Amino acid sequence: MIFEIALNGLMLGGLYTLMGAGFSLQWGISGIINLAYGGMTVLGAFVAFSLFRLVSVQPLVSCIPAAIIMFSLGWAIYKFFLRPTIRRGTFFVTLIMTFAIELVLENFMLYVWASDYRIITSPYSGISVQILHAEVPLIKLIMFAISIACVYLVHLFMSKTKPGKAIQASALNPQGARVVGIDVEKMYAINFGIGAAIGAVAGALMSNITSFSVVLTGSLVGKVFVIAVLGGLGNIWGAALGGITLGLVESYGTITIGSEYNEAIGLVVMVLVLVLRPRGLIGRKYWDV
Amino acid sequence: MLRQLFENKKIRIIGISAIVLFLMGIPWLITGYWVRLLTSIFMYATLSKAIDLMIGYLGYVPFGNVVFFGLGAYTTGIAMSHGIPFPLAMVMGALISIMVCIFIGVPVLRLRGHYFAVATVGLNGAIMAIALNATALTGGAMGLTFPVLPAPPEIIYRYFYYMMFALMVAAIIVSIIIVKSRFGYAVRSIKANEEAARALGINTTVTKTAIWIISAIITSIAGAIYGFWMSYISTMDVFNIMIGVTCILMTLLGGAGTIIGPILGALIFQFLSEMVWSQFLEFHLGILGVITILVIFFIPGGLVASLKESFTRAKVQHKEAGS
Repeated sequence: MIFEIALNGLMLGGLYTLMGAGFSLQWGISGIINLAYGGMTVLGAFVAFSLFRLVSVQPLVSCIPAAIIMFSLGWAIYKFFLRPTIRRGTFFVTLIMTFAIELVLENFMLYVWASDYRIITSPYSGISVQILHAEVPLIKLIMFAISIACVYLVHLFMSKTKPGKAIQASALNPQGARVVGIDVEKMYAINFGIGAAIGAVAGALMSNITSFSVVLTGSLVGKVFVIAVLGGLGNIWGAALGGITLGLVESYGTITIGSEYNEAIGLVVMVLVLVLRPRGLIGRKYWDV
Repeated sequence: MLRQLFENKKIRIIGISAIVLFLMGIPWLITGYWVRLLTSIFMYATLSKAIDLMIGYLGYVPFGNVVFFGLGAYTTGIAMSHGIPFPLAMVMGALISIMVCIFIGVPVLRLRGHYFAVATVGLNGAIMAIALNATALTGGAMGLTFPVLPAPPEIIYRYFYYMMFALMVAAIIVSIIIVKSRFGYAVRSIKANEEAARALGINTTVTKTAIWIISAIITSIAGAIYGFWMSYISTMDVFNIMIGVTCILMTLLGGAGTIIGPILGALIFQFLSEMVWSQFLEFHLGILGVITILVIFFIPGGLVASLKESFTRAKVQHKEAGS
């Protein structure tokens, strides 16, 4: 029983890791608490859903177009809305700006897809596999694998490629980065876009296992917040730690206290961590590998 | 010209008393719809003032300040359903809010900037979940019903109109007193530089908690009146984070850290909301978002600051023309 709970929590934690990584990147590197992240994630899910319904693209393949669309959108939002705001106001104005963007996104989704709960029923959703006496749906395993693969890809991008290193440099020391010829603003915009794309992929994956709706955006932002705070900012291993912790806590809490307290448990854990260890469980501030 | 008029003390007093008298008399002349609209404007103005105490003067953004609104409404509702009269129930709501402020405020106020904003959202979410699931006490998802006043609707509307109006006036007076007092200077010094304030011997923890408590009391009383006024509340209503965000927006629109800014913001915002975009229900959220973006781009300092600036400019031009 305990093993089953832990396994379920781990699977959920994989998805949360991916979801939290995008938010954590945007917060830790571009310095923006993106309240529109929930909207971006659900938009990714809707793109996958529409592709599945209209042209019957495999739900796992549709991650790619969802990521590309959301990358462009995230990049544009940073360039045309967030950058000018950061230049003239305090962090609190930027926070309100992302909330305004969230409202527009939400309204758009409500208009196009309405507020009904949707789910993608893929051809392999009925199959389950046996792992040490525990039944695990195949789709959850695939989802877990893809999540971890994506997180690893982002890690590789950030640590091995030139643009990735430039993004890290911009986060650590903007002035220094400028001196060596890095276009810091461009890097922030690209990073914000990558964050949005990661959110979209997480949303597209999520649409395979749970029903989703526009109504969920708020609670998704709550979750990624918890993850980012648990793990510390801009740190992909932190996001992994935070995501898996949240997944385990939630799946254990569902059994012992009941699923209706899920969100509250996460938030209480977050407030505790904020107060006791303001830099997160790992405690490094910037991206580091 | 206009500025000189504003600066003249006598004219100011006459103007303010005229406005107060006008607002005292108006509910006898207009229909119930307008009385309700004005009441809701007063409520938002009060909530915005309470939030502005934190944003404009202390420099902390309590994104989830609406938690006190919900606490006030729910405590009052529960107390009243056990037969406790409204004024006492309202005080109980305020006391609960104070307790939450002290026990949770002290650790949470150690956080700065984003982290504080986020922690208050978390606090709101957690307390909302408790209210939603403690069905025996709060009615859970069914919501909570208040006893209805035994009177015809027009009288009830006026009753709540005056109550909300009095609360708004009280909030304004409290903020004026705070701004002019030693305590107010301490609060603003924390906004300017918290470390320096501490070095000067200001007990920052006590000051921050105290101002948050004042903000929470005002908010929770507004919640209590709102619950009694609506006579039915649900967690989705009174713990709705949108209320808090709308108030932050109103403060931003009018001008944070000014006496009249949040009131002006609430007035304009609620009127616009009622008159213009309630016609387009499908795009309500989107239009709200677009207006927010426009406000941030074009009047980042708020209306009051923009008006002041244009007055000063007019004055300078006037002088130049005269010389």
